[in-house]
Amino acid sequence: MDLRLSPDAVKFRDELRAWLDENLERPYTEELLDPKHDEDSLVEVRRNFQRKLNDAGYLGMGWPTEWGGRGATAVEEALLRAELAIADAPQSPNSLGIGLCGPALIHHGTEEQRQRFLPAMLSCDEIWCQGFSEPGAGSDLAGIRTRAEPDGDDFRIHGQKVWTTLGPWSDWIFVLARTDMEDRYGGITFFLMPIDQPGVEMRPLKQISGESEFGEVFFDNALAKREHIVGKLGEGWRIAMTVLGFERGGSTLLPSAEYGRQIDCLVDALSASGEIERADVREKVGALIVENEVLRANGMRTLASVAQDLPPGPESSIDKIFWSEYHQRLTDTAIELMGPQGQLLVTSPGARKDVDWMYEYLWSRAGTIYSGSSEIQRNIIAKRVLQMPTK
Amino acid sequence: MHFELNEDQALLKSSTRELLESESPIAESRTVMEDNPDGFAKDLHAQLGELGYLGILQTEDAGGMGAIAFAAVLAEMGRVAFPGPYMDVAVAVRVLEDCGGDTAAKWQQAAASGEKIVVLARGENMTNADDTNVAATFADGRVTGRKVFVPFGAQADALLVDTVQGIALVERPDAGWNATEQTTLDHSQRFAAIDFDDAGELLCDASKGTQVLADAARRATLGASAVMLGCMESALESGVAYTKEREAFGAPIGSFQGLQHRAADMLIKTESTRSAVFRAAWAEENGEPDAGYVVSVAKAWAGPSSRFVCGQSIQLLGGVGYTWEYDQHMWLKRAKTFESFYGSTRASTENVLASSTHLNS
Repeated sequence: MDLRLSPDAVKFRDELRAWLDENLERPYTEELLDPKHDEDSLVEVRRNFQRKLNDAGYLGMGWPTEWGGRGATAVEEALLRAELAIADAPQSPNSLGIGLCGPALIHHGTEEQRQRFLPAMLSCDEIWCQGFSEPGAGSDLAGIRTRAEPDGDDFRIHGQKVWTTLGPWSDWIFVLARTDMEDRYGGITFFLMPIDQPGVEMRPLKQISGESEFGEVFFDNALAKREHIVGKLGEGWRIAMTVLGFERGGSTLLPSAEYGRQIDCLVDALSASGEIERADVREKVGALIVENEVLRANGMRTLASVAQDLPPGPESSIDKIFWSEYHQRLTDTAIELMGPQGQLLVTSPGARKDVDWMYEYLWSRAGTIYSGSSEIQRNIIAKRVLQMPTK
Repeated sequence: MHFELNEDQALLKSSTRELLESESPIAESRTVMEDNPDGFAKDLHAQLGELGYLGILQTEDAGGMGAIAFAAVLAEMGRVAFPGPYMDVAVAVRVLEDCGGDTAAKWQQAAASGEKIVVLARGENMTNADDTNVAATFADGRVTGRKVFVPFGAQADALLVDTVQGIALVERPDAGWNATEQTTLDHSQRFAAIDFDDAGELLCDASKGTQVLADAARRATLGASAVMLGCMESALESGVAYTKEREAFGAPIGSFQGLQHRAADMLIKTESTRSAVFRAAWAEENGEPDAGYVVSVAKAWAGPSSRFVCGQSIQLLGGVGYTWEYDQHMWLKRAKTFESFYGSTRASTENVLASSTHLNS
């Protein structure tokens, strides 16, 4: 066993911390509270910070250098995401493009596609959203019904996608659509489509938080060009699954870093009120810290296996269930412990300003649903890890 | 970064499993629990000494193998709910080494070789196992006082008694200990209250003893967490195996999603405990500054998690899970008992909060 970071990794992290000190003007939570901002200008804050990251070589961490990436190790990528969370830096508005679509192009795209799309993805001149989920196909993603009908050399897309993160601000969308309605997995193709065209209608979708970061998008005879198919016809499912697998590693230290910051803020709030002296409060906060440290231990273990190129074990499903369900317990308990003050919206006078607890509380309900719901993850563990029988 | 055991540790783990499978499978733990008045097999304990297991926590020069090896061995023992004072003696051997001096060295050798049983006698508080205040005294060559929940105390050849003056060694008097058995849920884990008015020898003074005992307590906390991990492994494996065999409503019950999700939760708890225990073992072995913190994390997590997993294993089996005949109860009882000792869940949780500095590195 060796859980220590290598000297190279420590150097990377220290340089990154110094860079953040220099270049992050203020925590994102402060931006959120600035009355000058609206949803549009906050996206611009995020876009601008992404450009800074890109100029400094901290974007496209896992991408090869020839495409503007850093060719970084999984450990470096994990450290970057953890440090950004600790610093409360604005999140990239193009994370799905860079995390999923970019790797799909790098591994399965054409040279023309890479040249056309990758630089603008990193520079954030073009924001990408993901067109995977549908109203009738969430956890059962292969159940998508959006269809692509041949039209000369090209295709016409009909159907509806939903949960398109930052859809209302996006320029392009990568879409899974059926080129064969019968073949469940082999009938799905991976398309790249501009949003600004006739036949594409993007509608904001109001979430329980009151925001509309997600959208829904309707395709009615929208054009998808043949030259914008990634891979071959019918390879969409395989490509999507491959790039989803690339996620492994980069996010291993992120949740515990992010929640660690939130716990620190909770302890500050409870210290300010004096409630931290109460035995029942101490027991609850202590248990939250214990659980976050276990989350961190799981993350370190996953990262160690990724760093050694070991085949994926049960850990990705375990990690997903653990962080998403823990975030619900954390925010539930934190708000309870902060008493009436904990009920205040962050914009209210007298509220704690270091964490937007009400947003975190609501957002934590999404974590157990997206990227494979807790139920799907438990099915995966039961069937693939414990090899329990199917009926 | 890597999480796997190194070659020596992996070999130790696999040879420990083989040894226990042949010499002390869970059926043997049951026999000892039911029929052996001492609560452990003395010949097997001696064999553990010959094989070097009892000296595992000694410094490397003295033949120790480190905290990671210690945790790996104890997880194996947890798998078979291994009865006996193995962990307590291993911890005491290191205390003897840390105390130093001729008497301590003699007993260190005797305990490490398996000839003699030596354990710590520390707690005096019946309602708080974490209370380190002591009233026992050493004066004029005699130890007086009362210690409670001394693990395998009645069976010990010598006890290392925490007194106001320091750590004193008391040999078993000719007439035997003035011991009262304290029978707990876990029949294979014997405890005794012991009243001392006996000749003894001070091995180290209180100022040094405090540190020696704090180190010992931290190692025992780690060890107990590892034992609970082993209990969880077996409870999970045997519970899931049963759901693949047992049929109801025309199908193996393991095909029902209600049981699958329960089993998935058991796996999550078990594997998370493994992460926490070995992170702690690594920190302990390398003398990391946060070792006490992460060891407490492991124990605070392993306690409730092992209760959950071992309890749910009974639930997976249904009615037969509640019978004496099936092994499920043995893991649950060990886990439930260990939760209250070697750093209770409550004390470990408080320790985590008190020493919490977020280690985002």
